[in-house]
Amino acid sequence: MKDNQNPLSPHLQIYRWHISSLLSITHRISGIINLFSFILIFFWVLILSLGENNYELFLLFINSFVGKFILVGFTWSMSFHILSGIRHLVWDMGYGFEIKTANISGIIVIISSLISTTIFWLFGRGLI
Amino acid sequence: MNETKKWILHRISAIVLAPLFFWVYFSLISLSTKNYQEAIYFFKTPLYSILTIILFFIGFFHVKISLSEIFEDYIHNKKIKNVANILALILSIIIPTLTLILLIYKI
Repeated sequence: MKDNQNPLSPHLQIYRWHISSLLSITHRISGIINLFSFILIFFWVLILSLGENNYELFLLFINSFVGKFILVGFTWSMSFHILSGIRHLVWDMGYGFEIKTANISGIIVIISSLISTTIFWLFGRGLI
Repeated sequence: MNETKKWILHRISAIVLAPLFFWVYFSLISLSTKNYQEAIYFFKTPLYSILTIILFFIGFFHVKISLSEIFEDYIHNKKIKNVANILALILSIIIPTLTLILLIYKI
């Protein structure tokens, strides 16, 4: 087959936005963000192995505004990717393809990812 | 590995990862409020250390398959796609292995 430069499958710039397409691309983006959160966990362990002084500095960073923003963002990305992943698994089993069902499950994924991030943060930080 | 096997293993790894990822985030948010000694104690606990290692190995296995799928969709040039796949493979072997070494020998 001749190698041409036609755009490949997900035509993000061409199709009109729907909940389904928005969630589909967000699933991928959150997956990439989760890769960075693996890198963060790796650094967490690495800095821990470098001794107390370095770890105290790391804690200062992670508890700064930027650090908290990153941690909250990563928590949301993780929650979203898992919840959206469950939606994909249900599709894989052959359920939930009707447009109305898919739209509702999409909205459920968005809302519950926000709720679970809040719960994680409140319980994790010992605020509740 | 054939595509069907890849597809199935991708799903199985996702199912294993979901509870592990929830656990590790809950732990990290909680560790961010605690000091060095408590963090060391956490990662020295055999169960938590083993769960972290499993999370990394299965996680990067999932990452590798996912990245290849993304490259397939967005990278037109075959050569660049192959290089990207090799880099992803190296990354997904090195990071879990380094984490394993750190957790077993350095903490």
